Amino acid sequence: MAEIKEEEGPSITEKRITTHRKRERIPAIYFAITLLVVMVVLFTIGNRNFLSAYNVNTITSYSAILLVVGLGQMSTILIGGIDLSVGGLMSFVSVVLVIALKTIGAWAFPLCLSVGLMAGYINGTILTRIKIPSFIATLGTGGILTSLALLVSPLPVVVPASSYGLLDIVNGTLIGMPNLLLLTLVIFIFFYVILGFTTAGRNIYYTGSNIKMSWMSGIDIRRTRNFAFMLSGLGAAIAAMMQTCSQFGGDPTMGKVYILQSIAAVVVGGTALTGGTGGAVNTLIGALILGVMENGMNVVGVDAYFQQSILGIVIIVSVALTFDRSKTAMIK
Amino acid sequence: MKAKKPVLELRRVTKSYPGALALDAVNFTVWESEIVGLIGENGAGKSTLMKILIGLIQPDAGQYELRGNPVTLRDPANAARHGVGMVFQEGSLVPNLSIMENLFLSHEIGFRRFGFLSRRAMRETATSVLSLVKVTSDLDTPIADTTPAVRQMVEIARLMWLSRLYRQENPVLILDEPTTVLTEGERKTLFTILTEIKRQASIILISHRLQEIVGNSDRIVILKDGRNVTEFEAEHANIAEIENRMVGHTFAAERYRENEQIEPMNEIALEVRNLSKRGVFEPITFSLRKGEIVSLVGLVGSGKEAVCGCITGLEKPDSGTISLHRKKLALGSPSETVRAGIGHIPIDRRSEGLALGMTVADNVNLLVLDKLKAAGLINPPLEKKNALRMIEECRIKTPSFSAICANLSGGNQQKTVIAKWLSSKIQLLVLDHPTRGVDVGAKEEIYRLIRNLARDGISMIIMCDTLEEDIGLCNRMLVMKDGRLVSEMSCSLARKPNPSDIIALIV
Repeated sequence: MAEIKEEEGPSITEKRITTHRKRERIPAIYFAITLLVVMVVLFTIGNRNFLSAYNVNTITSYSAILLVVGLGQMSTILIGGIDLSVGGLMSFVSVVLVIALKTIGAWAFPLCLSVGLMAGYINGTILTRIKIPSFIATLGTGGILTSLALLVSPLPVVVPASSYGLLDIVNGTLIGMPNLLLLTLVIFIFFYVILGFTTAGRNIYYTGSNIKMSWMSGIDIRRTRNFAFMLSGLGAAIAAMMQTCSQFGGDPTMGKVYILQSIAAVVVGGTALTGGTGGAVNTLIGALILGVMENGMNVVGVDAYFQQSILGIVIIVSVALTFDRSKTAMIK
Repeated sequence: MKAKKPVLELRRVTKSYPGALALDAVNFTVWESEIVGLIGENGAGKSTLMKILIGLIQPDAGQYELRGNPVTLRDPANAARHGVGMVFQEGSLVPNLSIMENLFLSHEIGFRRFGFLSRRAMRETATSVLSLVKVTSDLDTPIADTTPAVRQMVEIARLMWLSRLYRQENPVLILDEPTTVLTEGERKTLFTILTEIKRQASIILISHRLQEIVGNSDRIVILKDGRNVTEFEAEHANIAEIENRMVGHTFAAERYRENEQIEPMNEIALEVRNLSKRGVFEPITFSLRKGEIVSLVGLVGSGKEAVCGCITGLEKPDSGTISLHRKKLALGSPSETVRAGIGHIPIDRRSEGLALGMTVADNVNLLVLDKLKAAGLINPPLEKKNALRMIEECRIKTPSFSAICANLSGGNQQKTVIAKWLSSKIQLLVLDHPTRGVDVGAKEEIYRLIRNLARDGISMIIMCDTLEEDIGLCNRMLVMKDGRLVSEMSCSLARKPNPSDIIALIV
């Protein structure tokens, strides 16, 4: 039966909110940090080499890529959407980068950045103009991008020897820090600042928290959506370039794993799928948790068949703790 | 009168919401085979009472008896099983299913033959059930293609059939403003049918149209501020007396801070010329002076909401112009109107006024983020400063500027919405039921803010919960009826009109 018209007096939602108030929830970020610490401790107990320099390096380089694509994904989740095209985009950028390095050298990097921004812009436009949910829109564009990647190069391609010099710079170190890690840090700060301290970034939060109110308060919803999806395209493109450079080769199926991994990193960090709450720091913790889990389970020798289910449990539990049920009456 | 038995009895039912007592020990009885008219102003507790009757909410205290047995209704489906149902203002039918499918929706089990639904049996029952309400449309017409009158009849028929299915004698049907969507002729038909149905059921009728209630019910119950005021046989009713009872005598002069009412400045702030929206309101022209409070009154459907929607940019008019301080506004775009300096306190602050999951500071600063920047970036100390200033100015009771809005009381949430507009430079504020669902203390504060705004030269269009409030707050009143501006009257401090005069114009 339809909800009764909330014509007068306090509404049904208020009732929900008051019951919700009684058990003050712990901010999701504390849960995420605790989870990370507990996991590091457990894995270190399980295998003392877990915290060895070599292993830490493995974890950080995986987490770094996941963080960069996750930060972009987070922007779309913050406005209450989702970007399933990051996988296809990463695959496409990966092979385009290698092919472009052969022909235009260093210009391949800005080219790939614009490919990412363009893909995000198209996603945003489909969403606002054709008015279909981001879940479907990006599922579609993701499929297109995956095909394009395979059309550009059906098989993995290696970086041409002429570009080794360039890639050595990318993979080099500066004052003892790998350049890729420094780049990740720069991108993290970029997202942190954009989302937290610019009007465009705040508008993402407002829109995600209450789209109708945002519209009524004069926020340009269309532009905000485009912006969030362009941030996602940017993150995915950079992540793809990072991985391609560190592996000296492009792979037309590279992005596949990152679709769900990036979403997982965002939600495990405590950014709510309903939008409006969360942030860059959450995704940092989330990416680290996934990196630590992925690596740690292998290091302590968890049965490979079990690993996916443990990951699944962690995701369900974290979303259960962060999901704002007061916002949705019905779960679809 | 014959000795009738009570079907439904509420005894001393109380329901409170945070900061507001919606029902205060209300008694309500429905007898067999009667039409009882329930009246009261908005906020008198009618809706809460209805929600309790159909199990949508549970009372905090009091007893609910059906046919002499105490019951606890868990939800509307459960209420239907007990023979209590409601025809909703907006309808609860599924638009893309047919009349017949809607009639039996989710109760088709009785028509199962060999594991399949027998459409023939359904058809037979449907025809007989619908004849009760005189619906002769094709049973396969999708509900979306039917008139509101037919939809209403299908809902009534459905409720009658459900009570028969669950073997409940004399079901209780609740009709909430059933005539707002009907034409004159359809209204007559509705009441003829209701009189017929009355032989085997009881009907609770809610309507703003007092004539309708007096003319068609057997008994009238009046609620005010969540309490029983009075009840009497409809035969002895007279409308003027009902109006008096509804509005109440306690018209305290100082309640709306009338002593702070100011004469508006001479400068014209808002000019609306020939604004119209087809089928909603006819061309309307009016203006507001600087610092003037104009109240727009009229029934639901009078077009006042749409006029405000056009001014705030939420709706696009078909013709006409709106100018603010001689500058024409782009129509139908909230971002343009907000930029031009028009603010809007929406009726439903939870879904339209606030980012509930965000902090008080985030909400208050929404419109002025660009002014809270240092070196091109939003500066947290400036944010905090502005938020604290507005919290202080609007007296928002919050544990801190970084408290989540969802945890504030209704009144303080409303003050947060007002603070948001106050902190930006607005010239016109449209207040859509600004005190709905807030407690008395918060109401006072909101009135104070409204007076302060007027003193600062901000013009306001208000639509209030009660006529008293409209009269008390405004400088001038515009009365709308059926999409037309029918009257305009001064509400200057010296001569505030009488509520009953205005009711006569509205109805």
